[in-house]
Amino acid sequence: MKSYKRIILTAFVILAFALVPFIVDAEKSYLVYSLFLFFCYIIISQAWNLVAGYTGQISLGQHAFFGLGAYTTALIWLHDITKTGYYFDPITMLLSGLVPAILAVIIGIPLLSRLRGDYFALGTLGMGEIIKVVFVKGGSITGASDGLHLPSAIYSSIKPYYWTGLFLAIFATMVVYFMIRSHTGLALRAIREDETSAAAHGIHVLKYKVLAFSVGAFLAGLCGSLYGIYLFHINPDSVLKLDWTLYPILMCVIGGTGTIIGPLLGAFFISTVFSLADIYFVQMHPVMAGFLIILVMKFMPNGLIGLIQRKEIFK
Amino acid sequence: MLEILNLNVIIQLLINGILFGTMYGIAAIGLSLIFGTMRIIFLAQGSMIILFAYVCYWLFELLGLDPYISLILIVLISLWLGAGIYRALFKGAVAQEDKNISLLIAIGLMFLLENLMTVFWTANPRSISTSYTSYVFRPMGIGIPFNRLMGFIMAVLSTTGVVLFLKKTFIGIAVRAAAEDMEAATLLGINPHRVNGTAFAIGTGLAGIAGVELATIYPFDPFFGFIFVLKAMIALAIGGIGSVFGALLGGIILGLLESLASFFIGGGWSDAVSYAVFLLILMLRPEGLLVRSVKKA
Amino acid sequence: MLEIQGLDVFYDDVQAVWDVSLHVDEGSIVALVGANGAGKSTLLKTISGITPAERGAILFSGKSLTNLPPQDIVDMGISHVPEGRRLFSNLTVLENLKLGSYTPRARRTIEQSLGRAYDLFPVLRNRRNQKAGSLSGGEQQMLAIARAMMSRPRILMLDEPSLGLSPILVRTMFELIMNLNSQNVTILLVEQNIHQALKIADRAYVLKNGKITMTGGGEELLSDPEVQKAYIGARWSRQ
Repeated sequence: MKSYKRIILTAFVILAFALVPFIVDAEKSYLVYSLFLFFCYIIISQAWNLVAGYTGQISLGQHAFFGLGAYTTALIWLHDITKTGYYFDPITMLLSGLVPAILAVIIGIPLLSRLRGDYFALGTLGMGEIIKVVFVKGGSITGASDGLHLPSAIYSSIKPYYWTGLFLAIFATMVVYFMIRSHTGLALRAIREDETSAAAHGIHVLKYKVLAFSVGAFLAGLCGSLYGIYLFHINPDSVLKLDWTLYPILMCVIGGTGTIIGPLLGAFFISTVFSLADIYFVQMHPVMAGFLIILVMKFMPNGLIGLIQRKEIFK
Repeated sequence: MLEILNLNVIIQLLINGILFGTMYGIAAIGLSLIFGTMRIIFLAQGSMIILFAYVCYWLFELLGLDPYISLILIVLISLWLGAGIYRALFKGAVAQEDKNISLLIAIGLMFLLENLMTVFWTANPRSISTSYTSYVFRPMGIGIPFNRLMGFIMAVLSTTGVVLFLKKTFIGIAVRAAAEDMEAATLLGINPHRVNGTAFAIGTGLAGIAGVELATIYPFDPFFGFIFVLKAMIALAIGGIGSVFGALLGGIILGLLESLASFFIGGGWSDAVSYAVFLLILMLRPEGLLVRSVKKA
Repeated sequence: MLEIQGLDVFYDDVQAVWDVSLHVDEGSIVALVGANGAGKSTLLKTISGITPAERGAILFSGKSLTNLPPQDIVDMGISHVPEGRRLFSNLTVLENLKLGSYTPRARRTIEQSLGRAYDLFPVLRNRRNQKAGSLSGGEQQMLAIARAMMSRPRILMLDEPSLGLSPILVRTMFELIMNLNSQNVTILLVEQNIHQALKIADRAYVLKNGKITMTGGGEELLSDPEVQKAYIGARWSRQ
């Protein structure tokens, strides 16, 4: 598809999404809610896609960054730190992304310099658990296992969440897209293919790994912030659960890692499956998630994109 | 606190820790075998343990079957199930070069099991107590709970069994060889799938034993599995991947650490300490604390 | 006995072997020589079934080996000693040897095979309960070959057996190979030590960049000026 056609198609799709709340009754519509979740999933999927799909570092700790983002937002709001009183305050969101990103740098440097592959994945798992414990034990600052409550009066309509979600989803995709197409992206992919060779070619491997890791954390934190405001009751069980690491993996894997469209397709597919499942089989969607990962890895490990590519080869 | 700090208390803590730690130990042995042959971290090991704990629990609740008797049944089931899971889920994935596929399948399995068990059996904690499980021996004023002692004995016996299997049977020797160099083993005509399947089945069998141990000692719920496999990995990190007894020892050391930490620091933080120790070991001495370096031929 | 026709093999996405055809007569010693990376090891791995062939046929006594799993190939009587020996250093000498007789056909006569191995290499009997990793370089090479012989092979494939050995041991190694051959074991030898390899070979193939460039009798190639120039260096031809 020619590039200008692609741009027009994308713009059209975005416009269509943007208009949905005007067409249906947003407050009562399950569709709007599903799409909102869909946008959230896109954000964290692209985050994981950047770290794992393009740079080859399997991170199992994204949920920690997600939760951190949510908590940061809640804390800023409750303690009126930014003194803006706005709701979808971009500064709050920015900070909610920065805090996890900074943590990612601090933890990432020792972890990424010493651990490879499986060991790195385990390290991120451990990190995630430590953060969970810190939040559960955080006493009055973090509200311990009960968590923090934002005043429910701030929720008036789902529409601002929806559009902010759409915006952030586009933002996340753009960030990853432009990063990948830049020199940085080349370096990241080189690292994924063959780290030793990349280093031998003068690529500062650690710097780029940490960069990808912290950008991934930033995006995950943004998503956490958005979702946290939506939930307005933030506790370890809801924002620090492993689901927030597993789902992006599932979506990237279904759609096809290492591509820009892959996570989008995967997120769309999973959102649909979950939404339908929630209507007909309540409570089952984590089960389905597990089941789906197994199926996908067995039968189409390269995801939907892989299937499409294979079809093209056989034409 | 210093008033209650006397020798008896310390010894009690140590005993509790050691006896509990054997559970981590045998889970770790299973992980080690699976990692040795398939080179993946089988993250679903914890959920398997919980699964078998449930089986033991339900056999007790519904059929009145004493847990120590159902142990035999459960070991058989777990061995058979392990071989089946390998064939159904991992055999194809192993043939492909990408280890991430197997890793993700393991993660998917963990999720599937955890949530399926929640749907069927709810997230309420379960535990088995028979007339004698709460009995406590008291030699020299130190309390040794019967159930933990039994757990310890089960763990030691099964570990010994595994070691004998690995040293004395042909397939056991083949497993050890494949864990060292799969390609060289293949060149000798050893079927990698048989070896992987055997290692996997033993790993699952050990999960079964750990499950029975858990069911009789400590309340469990479907999500405990994840924490358990993390602890098993910490045990493995301490003990080193190459050695079976090392893994058991690693588990015991972890149990000790936890027991002492949770007494002096308090429940939640002791977990954080364990994870921090884990990260440190991973970064500083990934081959394990107890392992001496191995030469290559 | 062993016949290869038109073999193409890819290593990842790179073609390592290009349209290779060769044959090994029963009871002979055939050498595959060439520089590093010429595709020799890949060829052996394809024969033993570790690496898949993209195109071509491999026939052993008339039976096709393509797509057979390695364990079946070993059971048919093809034994491969890989480059670098690849012993199980944490296992004992005895355990290493026993594993050599893993396949069903060999397992039936494992005691005899063990006896033969000890007769051939008495030092292995002495060290049978020691870990393989504790043996010296020469002993390890002997163990590797003994282990391969435990499967009662009809053809023994050796990948760089002299690698890392001192000159005296190299000589012993090649004497050993001839000894085995005289006991009716067909040998397919991959070697960088071209001189020694060609000296004992009945037939030889020269491999370059995955293609066969020359073929002929061992002595014949040894005195061929092109071979001498490219691989040996004119001064060495008198050793």
